[in-house]
Amino acid sequence: MSAPARDEQPAPRRRERMAGLFLLASVLFSPPLLGLFGVEGTVLGVPALYAGVFGVWAVVILLAALAGRSR
Amino acid sequence: MGVGLDWGTVLVAALAYLSALFAIAHWADRRAAAGRSVIASPTIFALSLAVYCTTWTFYGSVGRAATLGIGFLPVYLGPTLLMLLAPLLLRKILRIAKTQRITSIADFLSRRYGHSPLLGGLVALTATVGVTPYIALQLKAVAVSFDALTGGGLETTHALFLDQGFLIAAVMALFAIVFGARQIDAAEHHPGMVAAIALESLVKLVAFLAVGIFVVWGLHGGLDSLFAAAAARPDLARLFGGDIALEGAASGVWVTTTILSAAAMLCLPRQFQVMVIESVDERQLDRAVWLFPLYLLLINLFVLPVALSGLMTFGGRVDPDLFVVALPLHGGAEWLALLAFLGGLSAAAGMIVVETVALSTMLCNDLVVPVLLRFRPAALARSADPAPLLLMVRRVAIVAILLFGYGYYRLAGSAYALVSIGLISFAAVAQFAPALIGGLYWRGATRRGAVAGVAAGALVWAYTLLLPSFARSGWLPASFIADGPWSIAALRPYALFGLEGWDPLAHALFWSALANIGTYVGLSLFDRPDAAERAQAAAFVDVFEPATTAVSQASPADWRNAASVGDLTRVVARFLGPQRAEQAFAGADPDEAAGPERLRLAERLLAGAIGGASARVALASSVSAGAVEAAELLRMLDETSDVIAHSRQLELKTAELERATDALRAANERLTELDRLKDDFLSTVTHELRTPLTSIRALSEILHDDPELEPEQRQEFLAVVIKESERLTRLINQVLDMAKIEAGALDWRIEAIDPALLLTQAVAATEALFLERGIVLSVDIPGNLPPVRGDEDRVIQVVVNLLSNAAKFTPTGGRTRLEAKLDGDTLRITVIDSGPGVARKDRNIVFERFRQAGDTLTGKPAGTGLGLAIAKRIVEHLGGRIGVEDAPAGLDAESGKGAAFWFTLPLAEAEAPQGAAG
Repeated sequence: MSAPARDEQPAPRRRERMAGLFLLASVLFSPPLLGLFGVEGTVLGVPALYAGVFGVWAVVILLAALAGRSR
Repeated sequence: MGVGLDWGTVLVAALAYLSALFAIAHWADRRAAAGRSVIASPTIFALSLAVYCTTWTFYGSVGRAATLGIGFLPVYLGPTLLMLLAPLLLRKILRIAKTQRITSIADFLSRRYGHSPLLGGLVALTATVGVTPYIALQLKAVAVSFDALTGGGLETTHALFLDQGFLIAAVMALFAIVFGARQIDAAEHHPGMVAAIALESLVKLVAFLAVGIFVVWGLHGGLDSLFAAAAARPDLARLFGGDIALEGAASGVWVTTTILSAAAMLCLPRQFQVMVIESVDERQLDRAVWLFPLYLLLINLFVLPVALSGLMTFGGRVDPDLFVVALPLHGGAEWLALLAFLGGLSAAAGMIVVETVALSTMLCNDLVVPVLLRFRPAALARSADPAPLLLMVRRVAIVAILLFGYGYYRLAGSAYALVSIGLISFAAVAQFAPALIGGLYWRGATRRGAVAGVAAGALVWAYTLLLPSFARSGWLPASFIADGPWSIAALRPYALFGLEGWDPLAHALFWSALANIGTYVGLSLFDRPDAAERAQAAAFVDVFEPATTAVSQASPADWRNAASVGDLTRVVARFLGPQRAEQAFAGADPDEAAGPERLRLAERLLAGAIGGASARVALASSVSAGAVEAAELLRMLDETSDVIAHSRQLELKTAELERATDALRAANERLTELDRLKDDFLSTVTHELRTPLTSIRALSEILHDDPELEPEQRQEFLAVVIKESERLTRLINQVLDMAKIEAGALDWRIEAIDPALLLTQAVAATEALFLERGIVLSVDIPGNLPPVRGDEDRVIQVVVNLLSNAAKFTPTGGRTRLEAKLDGDTLRITVIDSGPGVARKDRNIVFERFRQAGDTLTGKPAGTGLGLAIAKRIVEHLGGRIGVEDAPAGLDAESGKGAAFWFTLPLAEAEAPQGAAG
């Protein structure tokens, strides 16, 4: 067994970004904020709430991917 | 509903698919054995995480969406949130699991809290009780979907134990045994299993997306028309409004479910297995951070449309859980229905296999083996290799878990207890989360706190979720829920202590979290962890620190008392072999406290093999409760390599210090020597001064007191007084000269000088001395000597010194010769005498100050001891050399001995070309 390399912990910037994203997502996924999408009407034929929830989710995933990519 | 497929076809397709999974797993195992493991791929890793999506997702999400609208989503938003914490939280767990060689979540918690077998067993038991019914749910889902696909054809033809549920359980047991418990692997990696899980994840995603696309565009002509049709019906329109999922009590369910599913993503035995145990590289997480949430998003994309379509198509005739199979079948796409069935089968198979493997590892390592060790240690000790026994335990555990799951499925059937088990399972494993996360960051968390926390949480969970689910299934009286046990209203499981108006899940989460975290934190705060616990706590909390304080945490004072002879024997045997260990500790009771003497012995033995620092670490680690594992020891050794590096630096510095000390000591010795010489000098000089002074004084007194003295006598005495005064003057001059030379204060007038002239002057100055002593002085100076560089007075002084030295040591009647001749670019001047000569060992000494050859103690010194020292310093200052050797033969046949003092002077070529003088 080799000694674990010490610099393998993710870059601090990235960890901070992900922690920030976690907090943001926690707020975005909370009922009061998602409830804002619960209005009448549709987006491209899809109910606003449904589109909104998946939209927010997709944005969070996209940001997670970007946070890992850019340094 | 349509007729469905022939059950034989479905069975063959299912078996063919499962065979393909076997083949994939086998292929992956072979590749891994060849060193090209497919599970090193981050994509495969992310896909394997999707074992999270069971039939509860594949079929159940549609069912939940049919009643809750978007309320099915928190189960997937929770894991998304958890994955965002991967760089902070999961990275640390993975690193710890790797360095500590963790085999399961029970193992992880047990190790964190000082190798507590109690905690490990408790976690294993809670997980098994909480999760096995979940396995039953998978079996049920496969059976029900099979019936839905075939129109229930098989139902009538099978005996009690020959239904689809049993069949799938048997195949899964086989798979789990073949790919999950074939050998005891230290790292617990199962490449075959993981590869098969990843493939299954892909299949269930493709199947669900295919069904979704077929339903939306094949059956309804697009999303907008589907939603438009649904919006026309008020009972369906409310499903995509916010109020049923996000408002009032539903918002509590939303938040609760999010938290529970995030915790489950971490704590479910199967998730811990694929995410932590099977992980081969921490960097795999980087892709999983977004790829796994993306997977969850995709597999949920069509859940609501499928639910709406099913509700519109079937009304209340078909269970919404089966829409995924029923809709394609209804739409005439039988192949798609079959694909959907295979997708569901994948979801079930993946969950069952990984869960049983994880649970069996846990049961084996944290429940059965500790119990065996305690009550039947002979069974383990008898076999040299315990691996076959462990494998047998695991295989039996796998079969037992599946039988238990199957039994539960047969017993519970469609009871509430089974249907609701998904979130109830989540709530059960969520009880591990406080101890798990707290243990990563809080050094002060203790074993007693963790055990009590998990136990309290699990009890509250059982009381507020499990028992009520039994009551709703009819196994307990319904009054248990409505009125509380023995009609005590405060103990109503859904309204504990009068907390009413909450959703049962949120209610259970609140109380169990309160009991769990409260006990965990409270007890830990008032507890004192022992040395082993503190060492493990530091190893976990500081896993990223370069050199953890794990070693220093277990201070010698602590572990010296804790070690037993058995501990020492084990650790010594590990490094030096059992024989040496036996010899070292022969005749001692293994349970006896080792005591300082045996500890020192062990330390010495180990230090001989692995070095002092490592020996201490090895000893320190040997004290932790239970058996010490090599991996742990090695990890601690790794950490001490820093200590060793430090000690090397220290050694270097010590060596430098020693050299400096040596130099100092030498300087000190030299100073002492000089001091002694100075004392000698003073005594010599004092003596030398006193001798002439004494005679001067004595003679002067005689002359003073006795005016009647004979004139000749008086003359003679005065001559002595004068001579002694001269000697005094000479001595004082020499001392002054020496002091000046030493201080560098002498005035040098260096110029080209004629050697013949100065030699003649020197001879003239000393001639009287030789005459007086009756010594023949012969002079041999060539006529045409070139000029030399030097200070005339000083050179004369040197020659005079050498000549008077010769006069002093040559016996009366002896001979002395002064020679000068060219020797290269120097002039060599030699004074040869026929005295006793200078012994070889004294030849350097005679040129030192106050040193005279021979015994200065017995004999009265013949001079001040400064003459030669002054000569040496003058010659060396002028760039020459000085020395003494045996006199050449022929000077005096009688004595046959003698000394030849010589010195050289550089020729003054630069200033006066050769031959210029003469």
